[in-house]
Amino acid sequence: MRNLIRSRNFLIGAGFVVTLVALAACKAMLQNDGSAQASQGLKAPRYVVDPLWPKPLPNHWVLGSAIGVSVDADDHIWIIHRGAPTLSIHEKQIDLNKGDCCTAAPPILEFDQAGNLLRHWGGPGPGYEWPDSNHGIFVDYKGNVWIGANGGADSEILKFTKDGKFLLQVGKKGVRRVAGAAAGSGEGAVAGFRGDSTDLENFGRVAKIFVDPKENEAYIADGYLNKRVAVLDADTGKMKRYWGAYGHKPDDAPVPAYDPSQPHDQQFRNPVHCADMSVDRLIYVCDRENDRLQVFTAAGEFVKEAYYHVNTEGDGSVWDVAFSHDPQQQFIFIADGVNDKIRIIDRQTLQEVTNFGDGGRQPGQFHAVHSIAVDHEGNLYTTETYEGKRVQRFLLKGVGPVTKMDQGVPWPAAN
Amino acid sequence: MEGKPELMRNLLRSRNFLIGAGFAVTLVALAACKAMLQHDDTAQASQGLQAPRYVVDPLWPKPLPNHWILGSTIGVAVDADDHIWIIHRGAPTLSGHEKLLANGLGDCCTAAPPVLEFDQAGNLLRHWGGPGPGYEWPDSNHGIFVDYKGNVWIGGNGGPDSQILKFTKDGKFLLQVGKKGARRVAGATAAAGGGEGAVAGFKGGSTDPLNFGRVAKIFVDPKENEAYIADGYLNKRVAVLDADTGVMKRFWGAYGHVPDDTPMPAYDPSEPHAQQFHGPVHCADMSVDRLIYVCDRMSDRLQVFTAAGEFVREAYYHTNEKENGSVWDVAFSKDPQQRFIFIVDGVADKVRVIDRQTLKELTAFGDGGRQPGQFQTVHSIAIDHEGNLYTTETYEGKRVQRFLLKGVGPVTTMDQGVPWPAAH
Repeated sequence: MRNLIRSRNFLIGAGFVVTLVALAACKAMLQNDGSAQASQGLKAPRYVVDPLWPKPLPNHWVLGSAIGVSVDADDHIWIIHRGAPTLSIHEKQIDLNKGDCCTAAPPILEFDQAGNLLRHWGGPGPGYEWPDSNHGIFVDYKGNVWIGANGGADSEILKFTKDGKFLLQVGKKGVRRVAGAAAGSGEGAVAGFRGDSTDLENFGRVAKIFVDPKENEAYIADGYLNKRVAVLDADTGKMKRYWGAYGHKPDDAPVPAYDPSQPHDQQFRNPVHCADMSVDRLIYVCDRENDRLQVFTAAGEFVKEAYYHVNTEGDGSVWDVAFSHDPQQQFIFIADGVNDKIRIIDRQTLQEVTNFGDGGRQPGQFHAVHSIAVDHEGNLYTTETYEGKRVQRFLLKGVGPVTKMDQGVPWPAAN
Repeated sequence: MEGKPELMRNLLRSRNFLIGAGFAVTLVALAACKAMLQHDDTAQASQGLQAPRYVVDPLWPKPLPNHWILGSTIGVAVDADDHIWIIHRGAPTLSGHEKLLANGLGDCCTAAPPVLEFDQAGNLLRHWGGPGPGYEWPDSNHGIFVDYKGNVWIGGNGGPDSQILKFTKDGKFLLQVGKKGARRVAGATAAAGGGEGAVAGFKGGSTDPLNFGRVAKIFVDPKENEAYIADGYLNKRVAVLDADTGVMKRFWGAYGHVPDDTPMPAYDPSEPHAQQFHGPVHCADMSVDRLIYVCDRMSDRLQVFTAAGEFVREAYYHTNEKENGSVWDVAFSKDPQQRFIFIVDGVADKVRVIDRQTLKELTAFGDGGRQPGQFQTVHSIAIDHEGNLYTTETYEGKRVQRFLLKGVGPVTTMDQGVPWPAAH
């Protein structure tokens, strides 16, 4: 559109009516903007927050930025959080020997449906390189736990048993560091590091992992430094294929800041924040700062895309996805950590049907909602990063007519 | 009791003492020193004690409209209609992720007005506050109180805040006492000492009859129509005003001494008791029997005075809390005798239940965290006419919570942890 307007000769030569027509056509062509208004006749699942799940942690344990959630075959909920580096001094007085509140819980925590804490583990150990900044958790069909990482030096992923026994590391930490560069640690630090989205052995700050039981392949959202989806043999870790936006060969050349008025980026932006497979074997990729979801075949062929709230600059609108628990997975849930909403998407049309959530510290509100997962009853689980530092549950209350686009906080009806 | 490890460590360090005296003598000395050291009222749960029981109400208040959110929430009061009033700091205490609406970058969120009124059902009623003609709004608001006439008082602890304000419930300005900036040292730049607690460029003046020094909290005595000012983050006194005119009638320091603003060494529980308030002087609330309970926060102590400022007694709590202190705010139980005091401790993130006669801690509830009934720096506390408690949280806490009274029962544990509803 801007190019057309910039073209002075065109405008002068064509006149106002032609311009209007051209603008309307361009707008239609520009993108499939999936941000829709609430329409007559649409139905969507309804949720209310469960304010008393999980139960309080023991030992004065608190959560740091909670950066991943996954539901296993037993409907146990697994989360990963960042602990002490993301706690304020007021939250780690026990560590500082200055008071009774508090100390970081172990990074990986398992909860049952009643909200009881079960297994808890994680951290550095022999035989593997624990991330500088963990990111994402997934429990695969064999019952193993995968974690990614987006710290400065992180170019590895890890697999453990549910008891925390180390099984596999793919990628070596620190390989993306530019020779001779000084440090650049911490989440998202780029100084001294360079992406290499064609590397078959290592990653570039992985955001999330998904394992396909049928082919025993792991899909890696790679990542905060690389710009690709990579697919591995889930047992050996050997990389089998990878691709970039639209199925292009990924390219790590720096790109200008996101601008929704510019033509669509032909590469992913950082971070590539999710790569999850649906029941019909499509891969849904969160291109977070491009405000878009791209859909691929398992082989990496581009199928379609949709854009959401393209005015969302900075951290972007498409943070994580989960699929509804019905056999067809009729709906996608997108966590949008800028607008602090869960967007409910019709999976066939990719149109937004409705959304819930808002900013704040009360139940059902969010501070930077980061990750989302669904259990076998259709209940949703979310985690919050930055100052959010919690996991919440939302109970499915059936499917009903959509009455408005922005539902706000999904407050229990009796209240 | 918290002093015991310190003392023991000091004694153990003293090698000659140990060698010369022997084990039995040491034990006796330890016991004696422990008794002498202080009235440490951090007690273990005892047989036969009773205390009020609370559970968190996770769904009060209702979510705010307009994508409004709370910043650091720094005061709470309950009025005669059992409406709950809070004050919070808004945008300056929101992270970038919480004010994207205000900055045009997203839908979440923007700060609610500083002063908010809720009813018992959790509905938001009146909401107002901020700069206006005829008064100086604080750089950093601190504390809210609704007096017996239905007027709303607020303090302020920003760099230059040396004023307090009174409004109607509708937010109409009534009175300012003290002038902003009065504590600034001559020649100091305006940039120096901005923000909460900043001291550069400012000096306390705890004998000033006209201005304050970063006031934390206000209480109005209906009988004498006097306002008690916890003054403050820069001054080190309790000041008492005529609540209509704002004319200062009296003031006093720790133990009833003339207050002295001379800088003091950092709090050390193994040293003799400080003869001045360490500050912040964080509360000054009157009980039904007309005693004034003063939070000397960083000294980990509560001091009790007559309304005339005569020292009555004191108690210490969790004296290992050396930086932000353990005694942040008080509320009194709703029985006619006010048998219990509730102290919020924003370091331990607990509400401590104190026997008002003995000043002994009976039990405590709460813990750190983001779930209902947990706290991130619990800062203020108030009680309604049914005995339900309301708390606010500062720093990253940024919320108001309600705790429902579930009767009085035997104390079974000192640390109750999070007051989770029993069905869960």
